Amino acid sequence: MTEETRLYPGSGRDERTSFAPYSAFDIPADLRQLHGRFDVESVALRVRNWRYAEEWTMMTLGGWVATVPELPVKTGLGKIIWDGAVAADDLGKRLPELRCGTRAGQMGSQAGNQGFASFIQELAAPERPDQTIEKLAGVFDVLKPHLVRVYEKFNAETDQICDAPTIEILEDIVRKTKKHIAWGNTVLNELCKTDADKKRRAARVAQLTAQLAACGGVTGEEAVVSH
Amino acid sequence: MKRFIHYDELARDSRFIRQDSAANNLMSMLPDDVDVVVDVFEKFDPLIEAATRGTAAEPLYEEFGPAYQLAVLNEPIRADDPKLMERLRLRVHGILVGELQALEGAARSLWDFPEAPWDFKMNMARQAWDEARHVQIQEKILAHVGGEIGQYPESTFLFEAACSEDPAMRVAGVNRGLEGLACDVFRDMIRYGEAAGDDTMKQAMDFVLADEITHVRFGSEWVKEFTRGDPEYLKRTQDFRREVDKRFSFGGARSARSDAAIRIATQDRLDAGFTQEEIDEIATLSAGGPSKDTLNKAVAILKERHKARKAAAAQSAAE
Repeated sequence: MTEETRLYPGSGRDERTSFAPYSAFDIPADLRQLHGRFDVESVALRVRNWRYAEEWTMMTLGGWVATVPELPVKTGLGKIIWDGAVAADDLGKRLPELRCGTRAGQMGSQAGNQGFASFIQELAAPERPDQTIEKLAGVFDVLKPHLVRVYEKFNAETDQICDAPTIEILEDIVRKTKKHIAWGNTVLNELCKTDADKKRRAARVAQLTAQLAACGGVTGEEAVVSH
Repeated sequence: MKRFIHYDELARDSRFIRQDSAANNLMSMLPDDVDVVVDVFEKFDPLIEAATRGTAAEPLYEEFGPAYQLAVLNEPIRADDPKLMERLRLRVHGILVGELQALEGAARSLWDFPEAPWDFKMNMARQAWDEARHVQIQEKILAHVGGEIGQYPESTFLFEAACSEDPAMRVAGVNRGLEGLACDVFRDMIRYGEAAGDDTMKQAMDFVLADEITHVRFGSEWVKEFTRGDPEYLKRTQDFRREVDKRFSFGGARSARSDAAIRIATQDRLDAGFTQEEIDEIATLSAGGPSKDTLNKAVAILKERHKARKAAAAQSAAE
């Protein structure tokens, strides 16, 4: 008579099961390490800062749809507005999971500092129909590339296991934001055929990059590099 | 960037030609009286003529005079109509600019009402994407029927009528008035697609209609939410929506009449959250304008007078 396979462990050393600790599904081994740069509170604060950036960018683009004359820009912005809303929504939904209260997602946006709020105001300032270059350069040459760098750096530095839900959200946002940047770049290249228009684009980028650097970026603590 | 823009500030590329919306606005106030209709269109003749110059509407103007839109738009789209393609192009162009203004209205709601609840912003952001796709779809449909952007003038009266500076009235105007009209128009286009065996048209319009029903539902829900606990505010909002619906009835071209160019899409509106009472009210509002017979008589008179004027002008030029 063969010995019965033990299915469940008991309390004694000889009462263990005989299952191997790894199955095919656990290979390769989990090489992630615990302990990231951020604790729960600081992740929550960053999520609020990012949500502020995503929400206001989305609202600003919404305001511009009516005042940009180029039809493919109007229609192209529609999807980017929706992606921005989904990004802000996903970030907001993360907040209650970070001890920010169950309704935090409804009002979870918070500027990194007054300087970033002023940056957003400046970003949204152009409204004339002949300012499409200034409008798009601010969002697609300056802010969105900055956000991608911040999100990717955060994802590399935060606890890979404990904070995996934030990483998942940011990975999705980064994937879409890179598409937005590519679209914006194509449109801006099309709009900036002359030296004068290229200078307008460069001047706007320089102005906003300096302002973003001065306030420490989206969280107030970021190193801002020029595009 | 300021909050709230005037309809004159809607930016367009060089293909578009703007038409004064005064005649469109007056349509909602016209009585069932041939002489009054004729007088109004004669008054606006110079504006209408100016807007048609250099567009595909110019030959229509030359043929019918200032009432060319009545002549073309007041009839249902029928597959056996000898002027079918002309009517189709004019209507699809009108749909395209309507979608464009709906895109601008929904997107502006994101900027104009920064303190609105987050779920409202989500709905408006979604609608902005949907309307942007609708513009892209209508560009394709316009090409499908042999048309192109800018071949007819654009009136911004949809944005003008619907885009209130009050959030409840904005959604009542854009989401219930404008998008409700869209339900009626797209149901009509689906019927045309079926009758003509145009599956491309039918399928595209069916998808667009599904989106529009969703947008009307947004409006139905947000009007309730914004006016919750304030019956007087609800009444003002409903009055505003009635005014928008009256304007969007185009003097009865969109109505419950059996001979209407665009019939009210009752079932689609019910699906979108309109009550039967509201639908009956829209039918009553739109029935108040000139009858089709009145409009046809007015078109005939305007056409004759236009011909006479042209002949007189040619005569004096020859002398």
